[in-house]
Amino acid sequence: MDIYKTVVIMLIEDDLGDQKLIRMSLREQRIANTPVVANSAEEAIDYLAKNKKSEIALMPDLILLDLNMPGMGGKEFLRRIKSDPDLEAIPVVILTTSDSDKDILESFKLQAAGYIKKPVSLNDFQEVMRTLTDYWFIICRHITHESDRQVSECSNR
Amino acid sequence: MENDEKQICVLLVEDDPGDQKLIKTALMSQECGINPMVVSSGETAMDYLKMSTEDAVRYPGPSLILLDLNMPGMGGKEFLRKVKADEDLCSIPVVVVTTSDSESDIRECYTLHAAGYIQKAAVPEEFRDVLKRLTHYWFSVSSMLKR
Repeated sequence: MDIYKTVVIMLIEDDLGDQKLIRMSLREQRIANTPVVANSAEEAIDYLAKNKKSEIALMPDLILLDLNMPGMGGKEFLRRIKSDPDLEAIPVVILTTSDSDKDILESFKLQAAGYIKKPVSLNDFQEVMRTLTDYWFIICRHITHESDRQVSECSNR
Repeated sequence: MENDEKQICVLLVEDDPGDQKLIKTALMSQECGINPMVVSSGETAMDYLKMSTEDAVRYPGPSLILLDLNMPGMGGKEFLRKVKADEDLCSIPVVVVTTSDSESDIRECYTLHAAGYIQKAAVPEEFRDVLKRLTHYWFSVSSMLKR
């Protein structure tokens, strides 16, 4: 029997309104997905640190990252996970209100895998999320986590 | 010449002539105005990129690199490693486009900071659709560096 895993998308976003818009948009997508929401970069770092060695954890297949957050900003978070051998392979897409060339350059230098300016309306968010999930989960291959293998092995018994 | 100013440069690093033609044609058919630069080896690609940092008018810097893995001489992973270690080049997103479906290749490429890993479709129409979605993501939704 084939097992199709639900993809895990981590959203790191401090604005509750944007969190809601993004979650609603992700629910509408044809790829089954489980959003893991962190209200800050620090919360995201804690989650990833606790779960990276776990066989059953929901490790993200993709991270959507806001840049402008209180405390640890998005760029610092990006710098940290791209220098962590257990986390650096997770693609990170920036989702921000900033259209500054400096932010774009810095984000790509820190190995962001996309830089998306936040749309304003729900319709536009849905369109953006459709393109994003199409790209990352329909046309791109991604890494199989240990937890996926556990699911497949269990179902084959 | 006017159109060139608005065109997006995509560097295609691919040694197979059939795949070169398919990908180049698909890229040129996109509405966003793509100017594909095609090279057949990792070595030639590195030379081009170095020249683009010195003379961007004659050698336009790419906004995106599409990279085959299995090439003679410098393989795709070695090229990816070198580009990502270069201060002037590391900001260019590199998307791997390959026949390989090996999990270790996928993992290694993402660890080397590939910005996508696409397995080449066997059917040309399917491949064209894949390239259409790829260009839509990178050039309509994602902001690109101005080069």
